[in-house]
Formats: sequence, structure tokens, C-alpha cells
Amino acid sequence: MTTLKTESPFIALSGVSKTYRTGNESLPIFTNLDMTIQGGDFVAVMGPSGSGKSTLLNLLAGIDHADTGDIQIAGQRLDHMGEAARAAWRAHHLGIVFQFYNLLPMLTAAENVELPLLLKPIPASVRRERVAKVLDLVGLGGRGKQNPTRMSGGQQQRVSIARAIVADPSLLLCDEPTGDLDRKSADDVLAMLGYLNRELGKTIVMVTHDPEAANAANRTLHLDKGVFVENEQVAA
Amino acid sequence: MMASIRQTMAMSRATLLSVPRRMAISLSMVGSIMLVVCVLSGFLSMARGFEITLQSAGSPDVAVILGGGTREEVNSEIPPDIARSIMAKGNDIGVLRNASGTPILSRELVVPVEYRTQLDTAGTTLALRGMEASGLTIRSGVTLSSGRLVSSGAREILVGEQLATKYPGLDIGNDIRLGPVVWTVVGHFSAGGSAFESEIWGGFDAVASAFNRVGEVQSLRLKLTEPTAIDRLKLSMSEFADAQLMAFTEADLYAGQSEATAQLIRMFGWPISLLMAIGATAGALNTMMSSLSDRTVEIATVRALGFNRFSAFFSTWLEAFLLSAVGASLGLTLSWLALNGWQTSTMGANGAQMAFRFVVNADVMTITALVGVAIGGVGGALPAFAAARLPVATALRARG
Ligand SMILES: Nc1ncnc2c1ncn2[C@@H]1O[C@H](COP(=O)(O)OP(=O)(O)O)[C@@H](O)[C@H]1O
Ligand SMILES: [Mg+2]
Repeated sequence: MTTLKTESPFIALSGVSKTYRTGNESLPIFTNLDMTIQGGDFVAVMGPSGSGKSTLLNLLAGIDHADTGDIQIAGQRLDHMGEAARAAWRAHHLGIVFQFYNLLPMLTAAENVELPLLLKPIPASVRRERVAKVLDLVGLGGRGKQNPTRMSGGQQQRVSIARAIVADPSLLLCDEPTGDLDRKSADDVLAMLGYLNRELGKTIVMVTHDPEAANAANRTLHLDKGVFVENEQVAA
Repeated sequence: MMASIRQTMAMSRATLLSVPRRMAISLSMVGSIMLVVCVLSGFLSMARGFEITLQSAGSPDVAVILGGGTREEVNSEIPPDIARSIMAKGNDIGVLRNASGTPILSRELVVPVEYRTQLDTAGTTLALRGMEASGLTIRSGVTLSSGRLVSSGAREILVGEQLATKYPGLDIGNDIRLGPVVWTVVGHFSAGGSAFESEIWGGFDAVASAFNRVGEVQSLRLKLTEPTAIDRLKLSMSEFADAQLMAFTEADLYAGQSEATAQLIRMFGWPISLLMAIGATAGALNTMMSSLSDRTVEIATVRALGFNRFSAFFSTWLEAFLLSAVGASLGLTLSWLALNGWQTSTMGANGAQMAFRFVVNADVMTITALVGVAIGGVGGALPAFAAARLPVATALRARG
């Protein structure tokens, strides 16, 4: 831990404010939010519905912008980047897992998993190998040709995890990855995320409602009314 | 660069694979573009066919002299004495002579006549042309397809193939009433599908006497020594300033006539087609907007994975282009099958019926195809921009 403290944090938010405006209504989500996450950490973000958990992930993913404040990830200032630069940044550094998997229904599982690799200069044969390897890793070896719409929720979420890690990003953002799954599938997914964190060193930020899911993380942040109220350490 | 092409291709493929999900509205776009293409190619092929029919009647080494300052044969009048002096001048003014030294020249009269079949009591107006024997040799491409030539002075007529096929009553041997007298059909002639085939030909004197127009000359038709001799002929016309004579090559004369009519058809056809095209463009816009909303979550998802804006833009536009290309191809195929070579008739230059064929040729097809594809391009542009500018975070909340 001492070595980590001297390094600058992997993710650092400082003075971040975000207000949604629709017509005359304005809905402040964050005011002057500060947050740091160390590289290699597995952080669960909990909080009541509407507290801004998804908004936080969107800011970290660079698909939404803060009104003010600095957002720094792996030494790069996301808030200083333009649209194209942020897309390229996501392609190289970020994997995303959605609550509802967000697989493209007209593509096979393997084609879905391959998508992030298309954004990098990787030859087709290498792409095929990588896709097969991550499908193996998530326990879906040999199922690549199958259409994800024919799979169970748990399997779809594993395809989605394979897609998130296939390009070997350093950061995984997961928005309620177990929210749509039964207990057994949820546990499988959590075990997989734990493995990715411990064995492959991925930094993971996971939004969840599920206390058991939070248990899988090393650290839990509670978001309420735009501030982190609690920061509890749980042994993995 | 390669990665940029790859992501655009992948996104385009996913987009096109998703078209079956919105089959109905996609087909409505295809159908409305097909309709515009059919209508436009209908008008253009009509105009083109009309031009070709008239232009193929005209030859560059045949000259037509009209009097009275008109380009219309029916309104033309050449005083008989002037006609005689022109005939006397012969090749000094560029007229070719035959073996026996006579200028190859034909005095002609065109009379609109009412033709009634037994059934059709309303009657149709046909053009009866009185011409001298040399009129047949002057016209290149005219051949007697059956029967014999008219004997001079007799009330006998030759019927153009177009009319002969259309009206069985004009068979060889039949007697028919045209104007005040009865004529015998003695032959049919073909003229390469040109406007001449919609005429009835009789002897000059016979026609003149039947219609009380003895001594009148409407036009002179003559063979030039060479196409360039038209300039000499035109110059010599200034001698007859009182009669306001004008000389044209047949080719120029018919080109001028066909131009006016073809222009009229186009002037009518373009606004109708463009109005329909505007409607179709609105339809295309609507189709592509619903394509965009159908794909919102998918676009937002791949954008969140790091796909660029261009891939979203391009794939959406491509869908619009492909749908319109399908519509345009179907429309062209349909109009080609239905219209190309379809024969119909219209009022020709002499106020009489003139048969012509629709011609769906390469330039008609190119223009209509471009209009069809442009509908997709224009209608798809805004949705494509919207796809590129899709707010990713908001779109992801929409969830699929
Ligand atoms: N684009 C938007 N415009 C207006 N309000 C929004 C928008 N996105 C989210 N909100 C509102 O912001 C609040 C926080 O949303 P969100 O970050 O999704 O919360 P959580 O994920 O914690 O449930 C909610 O009340 C939501 O309705
Ligand atoms: Mg949420």
C-alpha cells in the first residue's frame, strides 16, 4: 500500500460538478466531487437509485462530460480531450460491461467479441485467436458461432465480459453487471470479475445494488446526494 | 487508417443486417423511390422516343423549302410561280439532278384528313401527303414493304407501316374515304420506324384536286448535291424575300420540331417527378430516422466501445443509399420492361397522328437512377448526421 500512495492514483476526480438540465428544470448530480481509485483496485459503487452511479461511470468512460472539474485516468485528462480522442482512448484503455449486455443481435458471439479488436491494428488471424482465447476464459469456448440472442442472460453477460477484455484494457467499468441475472449466474460473473482483477490486474469500477456483489470488490463507495458518504474496506 | 476502415465496414455490416427488423418502412422507401423512377423514366423515355422517331425521319442531304416564314409544314405556302422558278434553277442552287438531267425535287401538300373505321365513328386525324414520284426517292430509308406504287393522277394511296398495323381497314385493296373522295390503298411503305410511317401518301396532283388545292404548293423537298449545299440553297432563298422562303435540311427541320415537343414533355414530366421526389425524400428521411431510432442502443454501444462518429454516419448513409439504389433499380427494370419499345401515338407536327416508341436508353436510365439515388442521399443525410452526433450516454439509457 505504501508504494501505491506515492504513485499518483489511477483515477482521480477533483472538483467534478454535473447538473442535468431539461427545459427549466435542473437536477444537480454532483457538486465538487473528489474521488481517487488506485490502479489494480476493484471498487464497488453503491447508492440509491438516481444517486448518479451511472452518471459517474459515464464520466469515467468519457461518454458524458462534467460541467466543471478534472477527470484524470492513467495520467490522461479526459476532460481535455475532444470527442474523437475520447473514442480512441476508450478503444485502447477501456472495457465496458452493461447491465443488459448490449450485444449486437445480428452478430454472432465471436463477432460481438471481436468488435473492440477492429479498432486496433491487429491482423484477422490474431483477432480470431484472441477472440477464441477470451471466449475460453469466460467459459464459452466453442460457442463463438452462436447468436447471443439464443443464450441465457448469464451466458450473454459472459460474452459481454469477453468483449470488454478482449482488447486488454487496463480499466473495466461495469454498470450493474449482475442486475439482470439469477444468483448462480451473478456469482459466476462476480467470480470472473474477481479473477480479472486479481490475476490480470484489471482496475474495475462496478456499480451495483447487490451487497454480495459489493463483497466481491476490495472497496465500496456509497454514493448519496452527490457525495461519497462511506468508504468501507472489505477483504477480498 | 485500416482500423478506421474496418470499424466502418463492421458497423455498415451490422446496420445492413438489421434492415430486416424494419422491413415494412424500408420497403415503403424503396417503393416510393421506385415510383418516382418509373414516372420520371416514363416521361423521359417518351421525350427521347419522340425525338428519335422524328430525327430518324430527317436526312442531312435532303432539303425542305417552306414559305410564309414558318417552320410548320401545314402553315407553309409557296406561290406556284416561285415554285416553278426554283425548279428551273436546279443544281445552281445545290439540287441534285437525276440521270436524265431533271432536278430531284418534289412538290408536296399535307392535308389533315379524318379517317373513320366502321366501329370508331369519332374518327382520327391522319396526315395525307401529296407528293411527286421523286418524293419517294428523295426520302432515304423509305421502301415499299408490300403492294405497288401509286399511278400518277389516280386516287390511290400508300399507307405507312405504323398506320397499317394499327388500322386493319387500311389493308391493300381497300377503298377508304378521306375527305371528299374515296381512295384505294395500293401499297404499304416502311421508313425505319420514323414519323413518315404515320403518314398516308398519294400523288401530288390527285391530292391537290381532291381537296380543291390545285396549283398550291406547300413545300418543296429536294435532294442536295451534298449536305453542305444547304448553305447555297439558304442563300438563294433571299431572292424570294416576298414569299418569305426558308430552306432547312430535313434533319434540322425535324430536330427543331421534335425539340419543341420533347421539351414540352420534359417540362411537364420534370415538375411532376420532382414533386414526387420531394415526397419520396420526406419518406426516405422518415424511414432513415426510424432506422436510427431502431439502432440507437447499438450505435451507442459501439460508440462506447470506441467506434468513431464516422462509422455511425457512414453506415446510416450507406443504408439510405442502398435502399434507394434498390428502389431505383426496381423502378428502372419495371419501366424498361413496361415502357421500352412500347408504341403509342401523339399529335404530330401536322396536327395528325404520329406513332412513336418509348425509348428507355442509357441516358434516360442514368438520369433517373441518379434522381432515385439522390432521394436516398438527401433523405439519409440528416439521419446520418444525427447518427454521428448521437449522445451516447443518453442513448444508452434508452436500452434495447
Ligand atoms: N440525460 C439526462 N437528462 C436529465 N436527467 C437525467 C439524465 N440522465 C440521468 N438523469 C437523471 O439523473 C439522475 C441520476 O441518474 P443515474 O446516474 O442514472 O443514477 P443511478 O445510476 O444512480 O440510478 C436520475 O434522477 C436520472 O433520472
Ligand atoms: Mg444506473
